[in-house]
Amino acid sequence: MTGFSLPIQAVSGGGFTAWLVEDHSVPVVSLAWSWPGGAALDLPGAEGATSLAMSLLTSGAGDLEETALAEALRDAAISLSFGADRDEAEGSFRCLADALPEALRLARLCMTAPRLDAQPFERGRAQALTRARSALETPRGRASRAFWPLAFPDHPVARPTGGTEDSLPGLDTAALRAALALQLRQGGLLIAAAGAITPAQLSALLPALFGDLPAGAPPRVPPLPNPTNFGQKVVPIEAPQSFAIFAQPGLAVADPDWEAAQVVLRILGGGGFTSRLMDEIRTKRGLTYGISTGFDTLFGEGIVIGTVATENARMAETIALLRHEWARMAEAGPTSAELADAVAFLTGNQPLQFTDSRRIAGGLLALRRNGRPMDWLDRRPERLAALTEPDTTRVAARLLQPQALSVLVAGQPVGL
Amino acid sequence: MPDLTRRATLAAAALAPALRPGLAAAQPAPAPIPPLPIPPLPIPPLPIPSAPPAAARPLFGAGLWTLPNGLRIVHVEQRRAPVVAQYLFVGAGAGDDPAGLSGTAHFLEHMMFKGSAHVPSGAYSQRIARQGGNDNAFTSRDVTAYYAQVEASRLPMVAMLESDRLAAPLIPPEEVASEQLVIIEERRQRTDVAPRARFQEAFAAAMWGRQHWQGRPVIGWLDEMRAIDRDALVAFHTRHYAPGNCVLVVAGAVTEAEFRRIAEQEFGAAPGHPFSPRDRAQPPAAAPEARIIRHEKVEEAVYATSWAAPSLTFGETRHAYPLEVLAHLLGSGPGSRLHKALVQQGLAAWVGASGDADTYGVSDFSIQAAPRRGVAPERLETALKAEIAKLLDQGVTEAETTRSTRQLTAGALLALDGLGAAPRMIGGALAIGLSLDTVEYWPAHINAVTATEVTAAARAVLAANPIHTTGWLLPEGTEVPA
Repeated sequence: MTGFSLPIQAVSGGGFTAWLVEDHSVPVVSLAWSWPGGAALDLPGAEGATSLAMSLLTSGAGDLEETALAEALRDAAISLSFGADRDEAEGSFRCLADALPEALRLARLCMTAPRLDAQPFERGRAQALTRARSALETPRGRASRAFWPLAFPDHPVARPTGGTEDSLPGLDTAALRAALALQLRQGGLLIAAAGAITPAQLSALLPALFGDLPAGAPPRVPPLPNPTNFGQKVVPIEAPQSFAIFAQPGLAVADPDWEAAQVVLRILGGGGFTSRLMDEIRTKRGLTYGISTGFDTLFGEGIVIGTVATENARMAETIALLRHEWARMAEAGPTSAELADAVAFLTGNQPLQFTDSRRIAGGLLALRRNGRPMDWLDRRPERLAALTEPDTTRVAARLLQPQALSVLVAGQPVGL
Repeated sequence: MPDLTRRATLAAAALAPALRPGLAAAQPAPAPIPPLPIPPLPIPPLPIPSAPPAAARPLFGAGLWTLPNGLRIVHVEQRRAPVVAQYLFVGAGAGDDPAGLSGTAHFLEHMMFKGSAHVPSGAYSQRIARQGGNDNAFTSRDVTAYYAQVEASRLPMVAMLESDRLAAPLIPPEEVASEQLVIIEERRQRTDVAPRARFQEAFAAAMWGRQHWQGRPVIGWLDEMRAIDRDALVAFHTRHYAPGNCVLVVAGAVTEAEFRRIAEQEFGAAPGHPFSPRDRAQPPAAAPEARIIRHEKVEEAVYATSWAAPSLTFGETRHAYPLEVLAHLLGSGPGSRLHKALVQQGLAAWVGASGDADTYGVSDFSIQAAPRRGVAPERLETALKAEIAKLLDQGVTEAETTRSTRQLTAGALLALDGLGAAPRMIGGALAIGLSLDTVEYWPAHINAVTATEVTAAARAVLAANPIHTTGWLLPEGTEVPA
């Protein structure tokens, strides 16, 4: 690989620090920021409050009611959005360089003076309710709804991010304002920028955008436990194809074996056609359109999780093959050829991750979320190159636990 | 892909919860390969081969040449990262599937990864991965496209791999049956388990006919997918995969001179050969079914109404751009007509309008909406019909038109942010016979649309039109609207 480097600068202003990749080759700017918390901050019985409140930030703010705000954003082609995941809340915008002052003005207004007018609120809640109910129409939605409470019965990570048919009708604008008051703080903010913006511009933008948020950080959430091993469970739903989610404990993001484990997981079931699971289950047997597995990172912990869908009659065969490949990788690890291929891919693929401003800003935010140093990516190729077959064999044995692989199937699988 | 093309802008602005399910909805985890975008490519096109306005600048500044074997090659230099994206567009898609064998184009797309004269089965993706690259492909009604993104010095390798399978794919007989199972699982995953996707499929069949190229699903009808054999795949390749029916687009960190050298070296030797021109059926005299009602286990009712429409390549092409403006003006979220009349009045949870002007042959203009819970379906339908009647009677205003053209084009330059937009827009347009200028100058052409033209387009398409279908997807037990 020819020397890849991402020239990251740390830019401060008004007590905030952002990471920046400056690039004026295209007149576009992306900014992305996040707070810890997300749906995990929802109070029991008020599931969905944080997500709904975040999404309604752009439905009217300050003196701009819903339509006026939408027109202002679209007249300047600013894509501004807010949302919540299981463990964090996010904001971001992308705009043409000329529109940066307007993007700043509108983003700030949305965070500091959301209107939550009755009409958009009621409509947003009704849509969330529809989404929550519609999720139960498909095997995939049923599987997801059932999986999280089984895997994390005693942790807020299991709360359905968008709320449920039981919780959403009880939400009012007071509940949403309470959720925003917990979430939108100065403390805990992570900020990243990419594109046609100078450090001086960014330094001035930071206090203007975030300086009026209340001090302090969102409440802390208890550490994430390992997922519970619930064995194998079936959620019945009438459908011609079953959908499975499988998972087992992973590693902390800070674990020294993290990158070696990523290599092992890529070989087992990550990315495209080249993985063992794709080869055995799709290519050789035509059992599925796709199977993949990898780390899902939540609260600084990586859970090993994956999905596959297949005809009801063949889910049992698919899971048997999955368990067999899991055990085979745990016992013997990757071959040296597989290791070399995976390292070559992960090294060579790095520059492809940074071809547009949104992905660059998102990538910077992920580095910060995972507590990485600024030269993490620049030095990654040499760390990967140093991995040996004994390293990955040891990590495969440490990471993969066939007996702890829980499988949830939604559908009408035969023989499970 | 981070496309912000005109099509993507429209789609994002309209249809909050889109009726047409994309892979994104069906496949949240790391997505397997290769995807099949059912609303086809973002292709911003243009009908009128008029000279671009003098003040306008080309969006991408692309270069276009034709090799002696007929292959058109396009170059877009982008220097942000030391990488290139190579796209090969074949001018044939699901709309060109043989009668009774829907899904052939898409099945062949899958089999193109199973080896060629100098590349063993499966090695294509392996070799690209070993060089750190990504590769994939997609099939729409109009094109089949193959792409790879790699570090810039690897361009000769991906050009060689693509050229080899364009000339002579193996389509190994022993791998056809297992891949057939894969695409059937793909169909189940995309369509069969999803009531809204099944409705979408049934709606198109009702409007155009189950065997019309607009009425068949891109992935194919299940019984026909099972009937495709190796001979059909080979025949489709022979008929359509000729250099003269393809467009190669490369965007990224490579100079024009270097790219031309690589293209001539890797693709120049591929022998040109005749190919079948597109042979698409004319539209039916009238929609086979003017109305369909489906009851399913769904939580939310969905209303759809659609009219046959001219495209940039078919019929009264002068209406094509005004129809895109009309779609924005009617159904693009807050501030648009139908949002005011239906959503803000409490009748609909969401509403969207779309015009698919950039297709080969006849197209459609569609409106979709969901009634709010507790609102009787016929109330929504009646209110929507009243809005259409008002539109046809009174036309649109200059202010509305200006607002829409401004918002449609404000973000045109965002297409420069990323490697995918230029190849997708340019390759898609050239592959259906549109000119490079249709892409390079699309904002100027949208901005030139007047209120009079939008009104005329609305009256030409949304008034008496024999190819017009409406439909309801209703939760089980819901009364059928009158």
